[in-house]
Amino acid sequence: MPASSPIPALDPAPIPGPPWLFHVLWVFTFLIHVLFMNAVLGGSVVATLSLLFRKGEPGRRTASFLVEVNTWAISLAITFGIAPLLFLQVIYGRLFYTATILVAAHWLGLLVLLTAAYYLNYVAKYRFRAGKGATAAVASTAVLLLAIAAIQVAVSLLHQQPSRWASALGDPWAAFADRAFLPRWLHFVLAAVTLAAVLVAWLAVRNPDAAPEDADRADRARWGIKLALGATAAQLLVGFWLVGALPGPVLRGFMRGGAATMVPFTLAVVLGFGLLLVLARTVDPLAQRKLVRHALELFGLATILMLVTRHQLREVTLAAEGVTGAPAVAPQWSVLALFLVVLVLCVALSVWALVRMAKDRPGAGEEAA
Amino acid sequence: MDYPIWNPAIGGGVLIGIVAILHVVVSHFAIGGGITLGILETLAVRNGDRAFRELARRGSWLLVLVSTVFGAISGVAIWFTIGLVQPAATSSLIHTFVWGWAIEWGFFLLEIVTALAYVATWDKVRPRTHLVLIWLYAFAAFMSLVVIQGILAFMLTPGRWIATGSFWDGFLNPSYVPGLVFRTGACLLLAGGYLTLSALREKDRGARARAVRLLSAISVAGAALAALGGLWWERSLPDGVTRFFLGAKPLLASLAATRHLVLWALAVSAALFLLTALLPRLQNWGLAVVTLLAAFAVLGGYERLREGSRKPFVIRDQMFSNGVLVTEIDRLNRDGILSKARWGPLERAGKAETGRAVFRAECSTCHTLDGYLGIRKIVEPMDADLATMFLTALRDDGAAWKALRAGDGTAKPGYPTMPPFVGTDAELDALARYLVSLNAPKVAEAPRAR
Repeated sequence: MPASSPIPALDPAPIPGPPWLFHVLWVFTFLIHVLFMNAVLGGSVVATLSLLFRKGEPGRRTASFLVEVNTWAISLAITFGIAPLLFLQVIYGRLFYTATILVAAHWLGLLVLLTAAYYLNYVAKYRFRAGKGATAAVASTAVLLLAIAAIQVAVSLLHQQPSRWASALGDPWAAFADRAFLPRWLHFVLAAVTLAAVLVAWLAVRNPDAAPEDADRADRARWGIKLALGATAAQLLVGFWLVGALPGPVLRGFMRGGAATMVPFTLAVVLGFGLLLVLARTVDPLAQRKLVRHALELFGLATILMLVTRHQLREVTLAAEGVTGAPAVAPQWSVLALFLVVLVLCVALSVWALVRMAKDRPGAGEEAA
Repeated sequence: MDYPIWNPAIGGGVLIGIVAILHVVVSHFAIGGGITLGILETLAVRNGDRAFRELARRGSWLLVLVSTVFGAISGVAIWFTIGLVQPAATSSLIHTFVWGWAIEWGFFLLEIVTALAYVATWDKVRPRTHLVLIWLYAFAAFMSLVVIQGILAFMLTPGRWIATGSFWDGFLNPSYVPGLVFRTGACLLLAGGYLTLSALREKDRGARARAVRLLSAISVAGAALAALGGLWWERSLPDGVTRFFLGAKPLLASLAATRHLVLWALAVSAALFLLTALLPRLQNWGLAVVTLLAAFAVLGGYERLREGSRKPFVIRDQMFSNGVLVTEIDRLNRDGILSKARWGPLERAGKAETGRAVFRAECSTCHTLDGYLGIRKIVEPMDADLATMFLTALRDDGAAWKALRAGDGTAKPGYPTMPPFVGTDAELDALARYLVSLNAPKVAEAPRAR
């Protein structure tokens, strides 16, 4: 890296493990974060749409359910966001810090928006529980989360394009002027809406012996599938827009990657079309529960492949931008082993606690906690 | 320095301080809260005490709303803020301790899941299952403190890590255990203080007295642990650190005053909690608020003491607060600070001189122009010669800082709260001229002045 380049020098401190391991951990933990994040963002948008466009109790019930889910999902989205944030800093700290400093006010503002969104979701939850209206709180949550997604997309684009840093130095809004910004943001939002809408449908139909008082579940499932179908159809158009918005050298570099880059990408696109087809065929979700489940599975697989593609695109973009250099490596195997043990232990204890919580009910005459 | 510099109006250090104090208070409350709620509910189940059960239920709502929401977000906020203000230091810490943070994240995951499950299962599961949830939460929350304390203490007392670079030498550093004892006590003190407020809402006088007595006893234990840990912590620090706030003539009077505040707050809270442990009916809202505020002062004061006595380092003996490494002093004196300030040419963009670029690279992490530690006021009495002399003396301090890192305890920098000036003669002159120019009369004002 020439001294005149604005790209910070590599940190002289060695990284404590092989780079491939950090890439793997980063993509893996980011996948979990993205799934929760999609559920949260999509959930708030779908809840708003449900309140605005589905009249009466059915719309309210769907929104209330999504808001309840979000109180957990937001916590878990944040918690699962910490790990990829750690691993990202190990690999690309110098790029990430620079990009966030250039848009510092927006970056810190993101946390204010997140705090407000989180508490507004609680406001909506308790208003629903009290039988009151919560459209304003739910819609505000959605707007705040959409703004957060926009900031994240801007930082993500900026950190991998040092050639755009100079323009953002005095004008942080320039970070949002990237031609890939809008399609990329829409790509995330539509994916989130798809997941939340399919989840609404799946949770409505998954139990064939659902309580009789939940009479509107067929309607709820149909609405979810219809919404997911619309979002997926729009996603295919946005997908082409996003590919077209990639800089020429990046697109060429990506295509020259051969099977390693083209197979995951092509498969993801095929799965996207498959999802569209499955959703279009699901005309009676209650009778076609398998199709609804397949839609969820297809979405999950497509997300995994898209994240791999996203990661590869970043590498290609950085190469095209002339970002070079490999960090020194000094593995800390004992601490890494301890991390894996702690992670397995904590995940196992979490699952055990959740299962115990779900199964344990006081018997007749027994007191509850 | 390799990075663009972000200067919030209130100063980056102040911003980090605000975010850190908020997070520290909330996270310590979450840890102490877990243990205290666990004790309360265990006693409630064992003795069939409905008042304790209701107290635990009331306390648990705040635990979730504050700890899983605000605690989680303010924790991320610390990451965001230090990355903006101290990117080089953040990078260095990440490279050294990423697995430590990853371990903490594992415990945090368990903490969040069990906190949400605990609150969601009141009246739904058997008491034993509920107890399992709160004790799992308390375990996870405390273990996250056990991990993060190693990294926090490392920044002040890196110990043998300076020589070995080993994770474990850095983590198990001289002030690790004493600080952990102090923080554990502070957690209990805070939680006892808050839950006492909640206990005062109990209508039944007998039940209220029982709850106050228990919570006061927990708080007294917390105060005792904090006192023991705090004194032990002071003894674990090298002289170069304690001379900031100990002795007849401490280097920083404000830090010495902070230490007194911590001691007084600890004494007040311990005395009041002891009183209410013995005579629980004396407890009232006024007293409870005073003890809670005192608990805040204990923890907040300790954090300020710890951060303040780290001056002028961000990682003691390794990296100064402006991102300059002790090991690169000679190179930067030879090649110039601007050889490291990659953003200098972009930021100057032809509108400012070298001196301003040097100021931004070396000084602006701590000094604003007119706000926090405003440089204009500081250099007001200086002319060019005095500024040059001052900067030259700061540059000479570089040798003392290197000697201290090498283990020579007799070395004494002339300006122990400031990083050394590093750079070429030309850069030193440019910075001196820039500093003096800050108070030069404006050209337009000159005729009026005459």
